[in-house]
This record gives sequence, C-alpha cells and structure tokens, in this order.
Amino acid sequence: MLELLGSALLNIMQWKYLLPLFLGTLMGVIGGAIPGVTITLTIIILLPFTFGLDPLQGLAAMTGVYVGGSAGGLITASLLGIPGTPSAIATTFDGFPMARAGEPGRAVWLGIWASCFGGLIGGLFLVLVTGPLAAIALQFGPWEYFSLFILALAMVAGLAEGSLTKGLISAGIGLVIAMFGNDPVGGIPRFTFGSDFLGGGFPFLPVLIGIFAFSQIMTDVENLGRSKTARESAQVRGSLRVSQLKVIGEIISRPFLLLWSTIVGIAIGVLPAVGGSAANMLAYDQAKKLSRHPERFGKGTPEGIIASESANNANVGGSLVTIMAFGIPGDAVTAVMLGAMTIHGIQSGPLFVSQNADLAYGIYAAYILAHPLMVLIMAVAAAIMLRISQVKLSILAPIVLVLCVVGAYAVNNTMNGVYVLLIFGVLGYGLVRTGFPLAPLILGLILGEQIELNLIRAIMTDDNPWLFITRPISGGLLLVAVISVALSIWQHMRHTRRTASVEPDF
Amino acid sequence: MRVSRDGVIGLILAALSLGLLVQSFSLPQLPLTPVGPGFYPRIVLGLLALAGVALFLQNVIANRADTAAVDEVPAETGFWRVPLLFGIVAAYIFLLPVLGYRLATILFVMLVMPAIEWPRSVQAWAAVISISIATSLVSHLVFERYLLVLLPRGSLTGW
Repeated sequence: MLELLGSALLNIMQWKYLLPLFLGTLMGVIGGAIPGVTITLTIIILLPFTFGLDPLQGLAAMTGVYVGGSAGGLITASLLGIPGTPSAIATTFDGFPMARAGEPGRAVWLGIWASCFGGLIGGLFLVLVTGPLAAIALQFGPWEYFSLFILALAMVAGLAEGSLTKGLISAGIGLVIAMFGNDPVGGIPRFTFGSDFLGGGFPFLPVLIGIFAFSQIMTDVENLGRSKTARESAQVRGSLRVSQLKVIGEIISRPFLLLWSTIVGIAIGVLPAVGGSAANMLAYDQAKKLSRHPERFGKGTPEGIIASESANNANVGGSLVTIMAFGIPGDAVTAVMLGAMTIHGIQSGPLFVSQNADLAYGIYAAYILAHPLMVLIMAVAAAIMLRISQVKLSILAPIVLVLCVVGAYAVNNTMNGVYVLLIFGVLGYGLVRTGFPLAPLILGLILGEQIELNLIRAIMTDDNPWLFITRPISGGLLLVAVISVALSIWQHMRHTRRTASVEPDF
Repeated sequence: MRVSRDGVIGLILAALSLGLLVQSFSLPQLPLTPVGPGFYPRIVLGLLALAGVALFLQNVIANRADTAAVDEVPAETGFWRVPLLFGIVAAYIFLLPVLGYRLATILFVMLVMPAIEWPRSVQAWAAVISISIATSLVSHLVFERYLLVLLPRGSLTGW
C-alpha cells in the first residue's frame, strides 16, 4: 500500500500532473477566499477545462481546487469575518476576533498550518483505514443517518452563547427554510402559496451568503462610529508576519485537539450529504466542549481555529474516500468530481481502487501534495489578502456586496437567487441583532432535506418508531445527542452561577 | 407581566409556526407512502412553536426575577445607516435587470460609499467615482470573460 502511494507521489510530481494540481490549488485558494465564490462554483468553472486532459490530470486539478478552496475560506473568515466558503464558518468565530485583536498573521497562519496538518493526517489516515471506515458506513440505514443528523443539530445548537433555546430555535428556523418548495419524497409543492418564486424552494447558497455576509457587513456599518478603533486595530497594528515555528508549535502542542478535529472531519466527510460546513462546526463544538476554557471560545482562542481548519481539510479526504469506495458524492463538490469521472469513463464504486489502482493512488497523492502547495500559495498570497482587510469599510462593503450579488446570481443565472439573498440578508441581520446564533440555522438548512428523507425512508421500511432507539448505532447517536444537549444546559448553568457569583464592577 | 424583545419574538415565532402548521394539514396525502408531505413539517413546526412559547416564558420569568431590568438601550450607533444600506441594496437588486450589471453596479457603489462615509474632499469624491467604475468593469471582466459567469443584462440598456 505504502509502495503504491510512494510511486504515485513520484508520478504526480511530473510537470504534466504537477501543473494542473498547482493551478487547481491556486484557483481553489482564490475561489475559497472570495465570499460568494464557493468551492462548488470554482470546481464547476474548472470542469470544462478538465475534459481535454487525461483523467488523472483532471482529477488532480479538481482535488487541488477542493483542498485549496477548503483552506482559502479561512483568509476572509479571519480577516473580514466573512467565511469565504461554508467550510470556514467556524473559523470566523475565533479567527476574526484574533485578527481584530491585532494578530491577523497568527490567525491566518494557525488556520493554514492546521489545514495542512489536518489534511495530511486525514490523507494518511484514510489511505490506511479506508476499508474499515467503508464497512462502518455501509452498516448505516436511514435510522442511523436520521439520528446522526439530529446529533449534529443538537451539538451545533449547543454552540449558542447564552441561550440554548435560541440555538434550538435557530436550528428549527433552518429546518423550516429547507421545507419550502417541493417535498423531497413525492415532489408535492409545499408552503409555496401558489408562487413560482417559492416553487423551487430557497436555494442554499444565496441563503447562506445573505445570512452571513449581510449580517456581518450591516453590523460593521452599524458599529462604524462606535467600534472603528476595534476594527482598525486589526488593520493598523496587524501584520501577517509571524514566527512560523511558533505557530506550528502552537498546533503541535495540542496533539489531541488536532487529532480529534481531524477524526471528526474525516468521519463527517465519509458520510454522504454532510460536508465541510458541518465538519468545521462540529469540530469547533467538540473543541469547545472538551476545552478547559470554553469561555475563551468566540474571543480569539487558537483552539477554535485549529479545530475548524483541521476538520474542514480532513473532511475533503473523507469525501474523496466515499466517492472512491462507494461512488456516493459526499457533497456538491464531489458530485461534480463524480460527473467528471463518469465523463472519462471511470466507474467509481467498491471496485474502483482495485481496478484503477494507479488512478486511485494518484488521487491520494494529489490530495497529499496539494497541501504543501496550498501552504506555498498562501505564503505568497496571504500578504496580498491582508490588503483586503486594510481597505476602508466604505470601499470594502460595496465590493463585497457586489460579489455577494454576483455569487447569488451565478447559482442559477436568475434574479431569484438575488431576491433570496436580500430576504435572508434582512433575516440574518435581524437574527444577529436579537442575539440568535446563525450556525445552527445554517446546519438546519443543510441537513433539513436529508433529515426528512431518512425519516420517511425509515418509516417506509418499518413503521416501528422504536427502531430509532433499539438499533444500536442509531440509539447510541441519539443518546449522544441527548447528552450533548444536557452538557450544554449544564455548561450554561455553570456559567450563569459563576457570573452571578462575581461582584459587578462599576 | 412585562414582556420585552425576546418575549415578543417568541410569540411571533410561535404564531408563524402555528400558521404554517395549519397550512401543512391542507397538503395532500400520497397514496403509496404511509406519511404525506405534511408529516415532517408538522413535527418541526410543532417543536418550533413550543420553543417560541418557551422563549416567551423564559423572558417573562427573567423579567419578573429582575424587575429593574430594562431592554438594552444601545449607545449611539450608526444604526440609521443599516436601513439606508438595505434600501440601496434593494434598489440595486431591482435595477439590475433594468439597467444591466455594469451601469447598476457603478450607481450602487457610488451610492454605498458616501452612505457609509461621506467624502469630505474633491479627492475623496474622485476616489468614489473611480472605485465605482473600476469595481463594475473589473468584476464584469473577471466574471464574464475569465470565469464565464454570465451577469444580468439590462432590459433598458441591452447590456
């Protein structure tokens, strides 16, 4: 196995593979860094260019986009507070406060190295344990998937600062948004009120861009007079120059965090329909719950950045294994890759690795090599990215808003996406202003359809509802979900007691 | 009983959830499946309505415990800019299919920049105009020419 991987690494270092891999990684970093231009959009743009290449060249370029894009999102997440991609949502929670506190270099490089280490460990881990992971995932039925998604929601709702009720409501709003349009089982129009606009439901990307970008920009605009100094502190005092050894040391000194976040990323990546957006938030939640100082999360702690970024790059490895071993796309990006493989006449599935060993190990090698390439690109481009954060808000805001509008429009090339962007921009700002967390809403939106599909599938297979509890894996996942909610309540109560015991400082 | 912002939000949420819940009962039942398209929404909307009521009750209890508590009165902020900015974004979005991407984007940036920070010199106004034009043309060039992303055409201008 390792011999095959070694020869594949040597093979991919040839210029004919290295160049597409490098260009793909560069495109991914740029696409990931621009809010509104997602990895999916970047890989779709790249797709036509791969048709003229040989299969490994094309798949290497796509793998590069995937790795580069997963890491690229951290730049805007840390420097602007707007995740360039959904897989960098949790990076904003601590990356942006750290950058604002005058350490943008530390925030960005912690993310870059965590992405690299998480991705590399994830790659190695997956090469070694592909078989056992596939065997576990194969045992999952709709009961297990349903319970897993409920667990994910319960965990992320627990991220809510201050109020678990608001976190759960936020998740519920996300689930409700996902209900509009045709129901996923029978295709019956639901809550459309006879409107064509609502007929197709709310497209995910414009909702995501609207909620996150608008709430961030509008809050910044609102606080312009009040928090100008806070905003400028990251710009004026900050530099991206940091001691690389020190940053690497910060990550290496937290081996359990790195390894656990990587495992969370891989596990989420392996499961279909749960992509990097869920992986980074779940890893963040885990890091917060397992931390000795959960109160530091959201205020610029390195743990938050390391957890989020190592998980989202490890998630890429998980998604790649799923597509290679089972032929199931883990997310929209791997769905495009699956399409490209089909165009090249490659049948993905259980026999893929044994029948196309050169190609399979070539993809592994491309995935592993894309990480040092990504670090190299970031080392050159990160300084340029800092300039973005140094631009005045009056210049930055209209440009970002224009990019958001373009991103929403490009989803279907219709104005509907742009209207959705505006509606959810207002909603997102309103929720932030009233203290509702946005992360559970987004996860509810992502998982909504899959939760419903698996619930209905389970009922159609066997109408005994106790199966959700009596099936060991499903029951175990639901138990963990209950424990997660209980832990959140306990943490909240402990925090309230501690706050109450401290004399107010007037 | 004193109800503040969270309590009102809880009640609105519960009312909206119940409204959709009622609507879900009018959805047709599929012949071949044991549950129809309204089954799952009813569970979620029911739980959401309960969560809304819980938020309302939590707010009432919190207000009763702390009678001196008042809703947070924010310090003087630039809140007035937010509705203004949303208004400009809305105008931009509705003008996009009329004027086309290039012209609408120039106007949009030209309005947003002074709305956030009023230019106080001729140079600052020159910067506003040049950034507006550059944003529109550069983004159009990058997306349409290089990224092959088609941008909205104007029904009035034809481009």
